Amino acid sequence: MKMNLWQKFLTQLAVAAVILINLIPLIIALSTSLRDPKNNSNPLNLFQDISFASYEAAFTRMHFLDALWNSIVLTGISVVFVVLFAAMASYPMARLKTKFSKFLYLFFLSGLVIPAQMVLIPIVQMINSLGIPVTHYTPILMFITCSLPFSTFLYTGFIKSGIPEEVEEAAHIDGAPVFKRFWLVVFPLLAPVTVSVVITQGVWIWNDYFFNMIFISQAAHSPLPLAMLGFLGDQQNPTQWNVLFAACFLCAMPLLVAFSFLQKYFVGGMTVGAVKG
Amino acid sequence: MNSTVMKKSLYLFAVPALIFYIVLWIFPILRLFQYSITDYNGYLQNFNYIGLDNYASLFQGELLGVALKNTLIYTIVSVGLSILLGLGLAMLLNLKIKGKGVYRSLAYIPTLFSAIVVGFLWSYVYMPDYGLIATFLDKIGINADLNFLGSYSSALYAIIFVEIWKNVGTTMIIFLAALQTVPNDLLEAGKIDGCGPWRLFVKIKLPLLATAMTINVTLSIINGLKAFDYPFIMTNGGPGTATNTLIYAIYKMAFTEQLFGKASALGVISFGVIIIITAICVTLMNKREVSA
Repeated sequence: MKMNLWQKFLTQLAVAAVILINLIPLIIALSTSLRDPKNNSNPLNLFQDISFASYEAAFTRMHFLDALWNSIVLTGISVVFVVLFAAMASYPMARLKTKFSKFLYLFFLSGLVIPAQMVLIPIVQMINSLGIPVTHYTPILMFITCSLPFSTFLYTGFIKSGIPEEVEEAAHIDGAPVFKRFWLVVFPLLAPVTVSVVITQGVWIWNDYFFNMIFISQAAHSPLPLAMLGFLGDQQNPTQWNVLFAACFLCAMPLLVAFSFLQKYFVGGMTVGAVKG
Repeated sequence: MNSTVMKKSLYLFAVPALIFYIVLWIFPILRLFQYSITDYNGYLQNFNYIGLDNYASLFQGELLGVALKNTLIYTIVSVGLSILLGLGLAMLLNLKIKGKGVYRSLAYIPTLFSAIVVGFLWSYVYMPDYGLIATFLDKIGINADLNFLGSYSSALYAIIFVEIWKNVGTTMIIFLAALQTVPNDLLEAGKIDGCGPWRLFVKIKLPLLATAMTINVTLSIINGLKAFDYPFIMTNGGPGTATNTLIYAIYKMAFTEQLFGKASALGVISFGVIIIITAICVTLMNKREVSA
């Protein structure tokens, strides 16, 4: 469709306006976070002050560096195991055409609909009765478990539609055992969907506060979203906003930075399962 | 391929995942059914089996109906609006405009924030007198006494809007990817046959978006039925029971009131509701997808 100059201009304007309206809460919060903690003037006066004093206050109050490190550790370990377990589990589900493999696929997928809040007490009991100590690493077990439904869904769909069995034949003829065949031939070919799993699951694990809130009691062990929980209540108090918003941006910063460098993968990762699956 | 290459022993690959999944997810879910007929408080192990008393008291009380109604409203409104807005946004950002890459990224940004941060930001937006909406209205001379989160009639819709704001980026990205797979020659052919933009959309694009639509609708339904974050962070289920969703009600019953038996019964009921609604939707959507 050919658009004349005016139409082009109006479309451009409309798109910019829609995006701007969508981001207003973030823009105001960003502007407010850049004020001195004592500056309580109207938040609508955008960027009237550029000071990092609120960030300094938030930085100390949420133990930012500790929290960042805890987030990296929790998310990193969880995502590695999610990738390994989900890729492995999806392999037979995609390759074997039996009723049991179909059942297994649906069995994993159905876990997606269960909210964690509902089953929390039996989960905690199970962890206790297995003698697994409750430490700040315990949430990792739940992050892995809760990531399996969606990750196996992505992997199984990808193997079925994207990795022909023929690629394994050569390895089979060479006498490679199935374990080797999977890790050396199939797994490297799964890279696109592995990116997708890392990003979709990594983002939710990074942002999760619920399991962390249940298992982690010490401030020194809190990852970023849990450190934010310490600000609960401050949103009702206008005098605390500058610091609160600074904390919000500190909490979001690592993912925003990751997103700005890896945009292509974020967008591609979100859609690999959705369009093909 | 011959069966010597794909042997049953492949199932061994699923073992690590299955151990985690069964021990920490499936088995605890089954325990819910057991606890739902007890007076277990979540701590002391000497509980009694009390038959269907928990279910009876739930069906006699008001809470179940209210929580169910809130959850259904939450789900229907959030699914409808996020599909509509997500598709609209995707169509808009699929136009040939300058800097659409930047716009797409910006539109995606809210999805990266933790629910807890989003809850804080929107509590500020909605706050009476000092909040974003209140100060804005004040500035343009409208003196409205609005309390979005504090009023019984608006609180639920206010938090649903937050849910949509956070998730619409994901919906958009999935639609956008699907829109890019619409073959150009198909659109050209439609234009030559005299289709206007609206007919091109309804007759060509929409059917080709069927898979993306199924994914988006299914994910938003599940998300809506599991609604917990914003009642927890922003309203505590209140005012009164205005934003008390099923999952928030379960959480509160189990942890604040320590009625774990009853909370389990509510869990079992919610489980049924979630499974039935999801199953119906998936079946309906799959039928539609095939016929399209």
